Amino acid sequence: MTKEEAFVAIIQDHEGVIYKITTVYTNSVSEQQDLYQDIVYQLWKAYDSFRGESKVSTWMYRVALNTAFSRLRKENRRPRPVALDHVNIWPAETYDKEFELRLRAMYEQIHQLNDLDKGLILLLLEGKKYEEIAEITGLSRSNVGTRISRIKERLRKKMTKKT
Amino acid sequence: MELEELQQVWAELSQEVEQQKKLNHKIIMEMTQQKYQQKFDKISRYETAGSVVCILAAVFVLFNFEKLDSLFYQLCGIVAIAFLVLLPIAVLRALKKIRSIDLINTTYKETMIAYNKAKDRLLLLQRIGLFSSFIFFFITLALSGKIFNDKDIFQETGIWFPVTVVLVGLGLFSWWGYRKYLSITGSAKNLIEELEP
Repeated sequence: MTKEEAFVAIIQDHEGVIYKITTVYTNSVSEQQDLYQDIVYQLWKAYDSFRGESKVSTWMYRVALNTAFSRLRKENRRPRPVALDHVNIWPAETYDKEFELRLRAMYEQIHQLNDLDKGLILLLLEGKKYEEIAEITGLSRSNVGTRISRIKERLRKKMTKKT
Repeated sequence: MELEELQQVWAELSQEVEQQKKLNHKIIMEMTQQKYQQKFDKISRYETAGSVVCILAAVFVLFNFEKLDSLFYQLCGIVAIAFLVLLPIAVLRALKKIRSIDLINTTYKETMIAYNKAKDRLLLLQRIGLFSSFIFFFITLALSGKIFNDKDIFQETGIWFPVTVVLVGLGLFSWWGYRKYLSITGSAKNLIEELEP
């Protein structure tokens, strides 16, 4: 297998992960496509230096989150209303209105978090353990735990307010 | 929505996404060929163009330095040249620093800290530029009067109305800009403080 084929296989295996990261960190379809492309570009640049010391997914999350964050900072984006037009991925034949509403509600909650917390909740939702989240983000395990507890508390409060 | 519900929706989303693989070899390799840096290069191009204008202005003052026949005008000339050369160079260096942050071999936390520090530096420079533009405005006025007409422009009676209008405009712009800078640098600082152990 050539280097190019191996890289393509990794991206194909994890394209869902990249999709989810780009949805969390962008506000429109065009921004999402740009970020998707940036992430693949950065992964390709980083591919030679990936020595397999960590899991492929850990390496991918790290590069993808860094790229998302760097893009956010470069564009100096300020909070603005979130269109969330880019969250609907279903072809017409399998379209599920009820699920789309739940999905939008979920993204609305995530978009209200700050840049760092968005990354943490994303990794948590991906099923990562605190140790791996710490490895990806560079935070200590206890810091990860504290921040996630705060996020949970925030979500709970929002829920209480709504009811 | 509580965490458990978020997890449930996320799991359903993951399942859906997995079923919809869209990328093929060609698309993926095309993405690696894109010059993503181009977008950021745009800002650098504007800054570079601005710097060239500043350097040309500095060269202009330098070539006309002999027309500045008193110590006051010579001091104005030196300050103007220093302002026109040093500030753009410092801004370009700060921009280069932001661009050169390593996204590949660092953690998310390190990237955040590096970006926020570099951004703080860039914003500080822009703030210095903003406030010193008031002083620079008067220096430019004095120098242009001397170089173009060999006159002390401040002795001219008709200039004070336009000068006042420009100063009020500059003041409003600075106030607006300063508030923006404060909010941006403030959030960056908070983030760094939260990340520090």
